[in-house]
Amino acid sequence: MALSKPFISLSFCLTLLCLVACATVQPWERGNLAKPQMALDPYPLQSALRAHNYGSREVAAGSNAAQGGGCGCY
Amino acid sequence: MAMPRKGAVVAAIKKLNRHYGRNDEDCFDLTGFSKSEVLAKTLSLSLHALTAAALILPGLLHQTAQAAADDDEIDFQYSHYQEGKRDQGQATRPFNDGTKDVNLKLPSYRNPIEVEGVRGSARISLTDRVKFAFNYIQDTWSGATPLATAPEHSLKVNQLGNDQNGNPIIVSRATPELTYLDSKNRPYYFNDQGTLLKDKYLHILSYASPETRKQGDFKLTYNWDQAALDIGGGISVENDYESRFANIGGRLDFNQKQTTANAGVSYTNSEINANVNFGGIELLNATRQDWASQIGLTQVINQNAILNLGIGYTRSTGYQANPYKAAVFYYKRNDPYDPSYADYIIGNKVRSEGFTVLEQRPDVRNQWNWSLRWLQYIKPLDAALHFNYSFNLDDWGINAHTFEADWVQPLGKGWTITPRIRYYSQESASFYQPTFVAGGKYDPLNYPYILDKLPNYFSSDQRLSGYGTLSGGISVSKEFAKGIRLDTGIEYYTHQGALKLGGGGEADFADFDSWVANASLKVNLSSVGHGLVHGDSAHGNQHRHPNIPAGVLFGHTLEKAGDVMAGYRYMHGWQAGHFMQGDSNVNEQQILNNSCPGSVRFDEVQQQLYFDGPCTSLPQSMSMNMHMLDLMYAPTDWLTLMLMPQFVDMQMDMYTPDSATTLGHSSHGGGGSHSGHTTQSGGIGDTGMYALVKLFDNSQHHVHITFGLSAPTGDVGIKLKGGIEDLHGPANVDGAYTHYGMQLGSGTWDLKPSLTYTGAFNDWNWGAQVAGTKRLENSNSSGYALGDIFETSLWGGYDLTHWLSTTLRVAYSWQGAIKNHYPYGRKDYVAPDCKQSDYIRADDNNGDGIPDSAAYFHQSEFSSCQIFISTYRRRIDSLDRPSPMDFPQNYGGHYVDVGFGIAATIPDGAFAGHRFAFEWLQPVYTDVNGYQLDRDGALSATWSYGF
Repeated sequence: MALSKPFISLSFCLTLLCLVACATVQPWERGNLAKPQMALDPYPLQSALRAHNYGSREVAAGSNAAQGGGCGCY
Repeated sequence: MAMPRKGAVVAAIKKLNRHYGRNDEDCFDLTGFSKSEVLAKTLSLSLHALTAAALILPGLLHQTAQAAADDDEIDFQYSHYQEGKRDQGQATRPFNDGTKDVNLKLPSYRNPIEVEGVRGSARISLTDRVKFAFNYIQDTWSGATPLATAPEHSLKVNQLGNDQNGNPIIVSRATPELTYLDSKNRPYYFNDQGTLLKDKYLHILSYASPETRKQGDFKLTYNWDQAALDIGGGISVENDYESRFANIGGRLDFNQKQTTANAGVSYTNSEINANVNFGGIELLNATRQDWASQIGLTQVINQNAILNLGIGYTRSTGYQANPYKAAVFYYKRNDPYDPSYADYIIGNKVRSEGFTVLEQRPDVRNQWNWSLRWLQYIKPLDAALHFNYSFNLDDWGINAHTFEADWVQPLGKGWTITPRIRYYSQESASFYQPTFVAGGKYDPLNYPYILDKLPNYFSSDQRLSGYGTLSGGISVSKEFAKGIRLDTGIEYYTHQGALKLGGGGEADFADFDSWVANASLKVNLSSVGHGLVHGDSAHGNQHRHPNIPAGVLFGHTLEKAGDVMAGYRYMHGWQAGHFMQGDSNVNEQQILNNSCPGSVRFDEVQQQLYFDGPCTSLPQSMSMNMHMLDLMYAPTDWLTLMLMPQFVDMQMDMYTPDSATTLGHSSHGGGGSHSGHTTQSGGIGDTGMYALVKLFDNSQHHVHITFGLSAPTGDVGIKLKGGIEDLHGPANVDGAYTHYGMQLGSGTWDLKPSLTYTGAFNDWNWGAQVAGTKRLENSNSSGYALGDIFETSLWGGYDLTHWLSTTLRVAYSWQGAIKNHYPYGRKDYVAPDCKQSDYIRADDNNGDGIPDSAAYFHQSEFSSCQIFISTYRRRIDSLDRPSPMDFPQNYGGHYVDVGFGIAATIPDGAFAGHRFAFEWLQPVYTDVNGYQLDRDGALSATWSYGF
C-alpha cells in the first residue's frame, strides 16, 4: 500500500491542475477528439476478448473468476 | 466511415444538441467538418465516459455489454486462442534392458490448450434515451494444462511399450517420487554414473476433454443530457463453475463536457462444483463472492489530447483456488532416529519423498488498481496514439504493472490498421513456490514418517509466480458501405520468468507462448438505413414477401444487383427418450447387447477375453446448437452469392447402466472416459459457400437453383481425456476420439445442391424444395465420412397481418450411415507390429550357447505374437468404443417431420425492417439406421435484415 497514497494524490492533482490550467476546448474545436480513432476504446469487442484472455493468464488483470463469470481454470 | 444520408445528419445534429442542451443555431459550427465527422462526434463524446469506466477492471465491470454508444449495432465475433507446446523435458537414462541409454521424449500428441469462442451482441435504442445491450458469449476449450510442478527426475516415467526400433514409448511423467534436496531445498538427482546433478523443474500436464462455457449478459442505460445511469447483469455457466453478476454505474458530464466523471459497482457470485481427481474422484463444492468498485475521470486536455484516470478496488471472498491445481510437497528423510538416516544424507543433500496436495489459497483477497490512459491525436498522420499504464496491488503480495500502446492509423477508403504492444510484469504471491518442503518426523509405528502440519496457504500455479509477458499484435478494420465493418486481429503473447521487471522471475520451465486470432462483423443499424427485407416489403409489396419457414435454408434470393443481406440463423436439436432400432422402440438391454458389436468381454470363469460383449455406456440425451451467419450479396439481378460460416456446440449426457458394469470391462479410470458423465464439444463448424441462380421469377412464381460447396473448417479430430489406466498409461493424456456425432464438421468437402420453388397469391404463399448433400471424399482426416443427405420440404403459409405470418411444413429427409471409421486401435502409439526378422534364429535347446540348428523362421511363435498383438489392439479399440454412438452403422436414417412456423417483419419503431422467424419441427416418423436415441424435435430461429 506504500505506493497508493502518493499515486492517488498525484492523479488528482494532475486532474485538478488540468481543470484549472487546461485551456477550454470549445465543442466546435473537438473535431479531432471526435474521430473514431480517438475513441477511448476503438475496438470494444477485441478489447473484451483480450481482457478475457489476459484475465485467465494473469492474476492482476482481473481475478480469474470475475471475467463476467467463468472459471478460466486452464 | 459510410457517408450518411442527409436526414441522418440532421437527426444526429439534433440529437447532439439535445445532448448539449442548446439550440440548433449556437451549438455547432459545421464548417470544417465532414458529415461523417459530425456523426462520429455524437458517438464518441458520450462513448468516452462509459467505456472508460469499464476499462479499469475489465472483468468485474463488464464492459462487454456497452450500452454507451449511440448507434444501434449488431456484432458477431469469432476467436481462436492457441497455446504453444510446453517444455515436457527430456532425459537420458538406461531403459528396461539396461543395454543402452535412450532419450525419453515426451509424446507430441498431447495437444496444448486451445479455445474456440463465439459471441453475438446487439445494442438497441428502445427510446431516444433508453438503450438496451445484450451479449451472448460461448467458448469451448480443451487441451493440456499444468496440474502441478516437480523436479524433472523425481517424476515417475510411464512407459507404454516400445516402438519399432525398440525404444520405449513414454506417455507422461507424472507422480512425483524421489528427489535430493540441498540445504536451500534445490532439487538434485543421480545420473547413470551415480553422481548427484542439479535437477530442473517441470510442469506435470493434464489433458482435459472439451468443455463449454456460455454467458449471457445485458445492460440497460438511461441517458440524460449530461449524465447516464446503467444497470446490468448476467450469468455464466460451465459444468463445474457458475457465476451470476450484477452491476450499476453512472456518468456525469460537466465543465462543458470537457470533464466526465463515472463510477460503478459490481457484484459476482460464483459456485464451484468440480470433480477433483487425485487417486479417486471427489466432488468439491464451494462458493465465491467478488465486489468491485471503481471511479474514473476523463478530461479533455486540449484539441488533440484526452486523459483518463481510474481507481478501482475489488474484494473477493470465498474459495479462490483453482480446483485443478495441485502442489507437490517433499519431506526430507533426515531424522537421526531413522535407521536408514546415514544412507539418505549425501553431503548436504537429503533424500526426499514427494506427495501431492490440492492447492490452498487465502479466503480473502483485496485488490487495488490505478490506471492512466492518454490519447493523443497525431495530426500530420491523422492517427491516434493510445497509451495506457496501470498498477495493481493486492494483499497476496502480487503487484503488477501493465504498459500498453496502440497506434490507430486510418488509411482511407474505410481501412484502419492498429498495431499494438503490451508489457505486463508481476511479483509472485507470498505463498507461491514451484514445490514445497514439509517437515517430517521418523515414526517406526507408522509408515515411515509423520508429517508436520502443512502451511496454511500454498500454490504452485504459475499465474501466481513472478514473471513478465510481452505481446504484440495488429488489428485491421475495413468499413464497407452501408455501415458494415469487418475487424480482424491477431496477437502473439509470450510469458517468461525472465521478462519480469527487475529480474528474479520464475525459471524457464514455466514459459509458454500463445496466439489469438479474431474476426468480427459489425452491422451499424443506424447507418444502414431502412431494412429492405425480402423483396421490398418496406415498400408495401407485401404479396411478394417470400414467407419461408425458418428451418428452410436457401429459401430466397436477393431482388436486384447490389442488394446485401445479413442474417443470423440458430438451430437447436434435441435427442432423448427411447432407444430405437429401425422405426420401433427397443429396451435398454437390447441396445446394450446388440448395438456395440465386437465389444470386449472378460469371462471370469474361463479367465479369458471374448469379443461378444455389450456396450458399457449409453446416451441419455443429446443437444446440439448451431449458430450460422447468412451473408448474402447480389452481384447481378439473377445471381445471389452467399457465405455461411457456422459455429456449433454439442452436449451429450451419458450413463453406465447397472447391468453393464458387471460385464467385462467396467469404466476404467473413471475421470475422463466416455461413460457416466457429460461430453461436450464446440467450435467453428463447416463453412458453406453458395451461388443461388434465379431460373424463373414473376409476381407469383419464383424458382431458383443453388450450387453449394461446404468447406471442412470444422474440427473432426476431437479427442477425450484418456481414462484407461491399465493400457494407456495415466488418465491425464488425450485418449479416444469423441463420438462421431460430437465432431464439429464433416471433415470432407461436400457438394450441396438444391432447387427451390416459391409462390404467392394475395395473403397465401407456398413453396417446395429438394436439397442434397454429397460428400466428395470417402474419408476425412480422422478416417471416416458422414453419410450423404437428401431432403425435401413442402410448405404453405398465410399472412395474418401485413407484418405477421405463419407457415406449416412437411419435411422428409434421409441420411446414410457413416462410411469407414476412426483409426483402429490407436495404432499410432499402442503396441508395435510383430517383425518377422525377430523370429528368425537358430535353436539352442540345451542352452550351452552353441546352436543346435541353422537359423530358421519360427512360424508358430510369430503367429502367437500376431494373435497377441491383434487381441491387444482389439481390446483397446473396444475400450475406445463403449457406446452405440461410437459405431458408424448407428448413424443416419429416414425422417418425417412437421414444422410449425411464425414470422414477423417489424413494420416500424426501433426494429423496423428486421425479420424474425421461428419454426418448431416435430418428428412424426423416424426410422433409424442401427440403434439410436429417439428425436425430440428441433427449433429454428432466424433474424435477417436487408439493405
